Amino acid sequence: MAHEKINECIIFTNLYYAVEDNTWVRVNDDGTVTIGMTDVAQSLAGPILHARAKSPGTQRKKGRPIATVESGKWVGPVKSPVTGEIVEVNETLAKDAQMLNRSPYNEGWVIKMKPANLDEDLAGMVTGDAAVEAYRAKIEKDGVTCTHIEGSEEY
Amino acid sequence: MEDHEGKKILVIQTHGVDTPTRTYSPLYYAVAAAAMEMEVMVWFTMNGTNQLKKGEAEKVSLVPESGVTLKSMLEMAMDNDVQLRVCQQSLTLWDMTPDDLIEGVEILGATSIIDLALEYDHVMYF
Repeated sequence: MAHEKINECIIFTNLYYAVEDNTWVRVNDDGTVTIGMTDVAQSLAGPILHARAKSPGTQRKKGRPIATVESGKWVGPVKSPVTGEIVEVNETLAKDAQMLNRSPYNEGWVIKMKPANLDEDLAGMVTGDAAVEAYRAKIEKDGVTCTHIEGSEEY
Repeated sequence: MEDHEGKKILVIQTHGVDTPTRTYSPLYYAVAAAAMEMEVMVWFTMNGTNQLKKGEAEKVSLVPESGVTLKSMLEMAMDNDVQLRVCQQSLTLWDMTPDDLIEGVEILGATSIIDLALEYDHVMYF
């Protein structure tokens, strides 16, 4: 898949991003969306110790937490970039939270959601070249350099 | 696991800059609870008060080599809507005035802590 690398941070151009909250959205063929943390987010958090997602069936409005993530130096919510119902949770993260570090865009996805207003929510996000430029600006402004723990996916 | 969203947690912190290792966890728990969508207040009293004096918290390094200081933890708490409150009476223990406090901290009296302890769902005392 096409991607860009900015200060070692990977940005896939086929995903939608809520840049301020450092989350991504993949639109699936079955009408659901997959949501996860970005490479920038996992780098800022550092090696993640625990991740706890909300249960399937939970209704979420955009901006509310879908999971809580803990590292040695940071704890915080993963905020939903879309409104809808959680239909699936990545069970792997409960046993191996550092999957979020090693594979933030693939095996480390957080939840799948049945969106309620997807077109409207996607319109508020960035994708493609616009996402790359938005992240370039954020990464430079915040002085971020991404780090990847042992076993991380390589691009 | 049960979802405790909307519950109210009161964290009472009595440790300050003189015991750095006792300052990190209470703030970490407070932010974790806020991230779980609980309403969280940290009440600073006794020695806990001194970390709220301008210029003090940044001197306390908490997680080696990560850049995390007591100041960054207090900021993370405020960024996550954790309410920070300080005991009025304990300010005088440290010869502090309201002007000495960092931004974002409110002062409450002793009767308030009693009301809050009774009102909140759970109190964590450190």
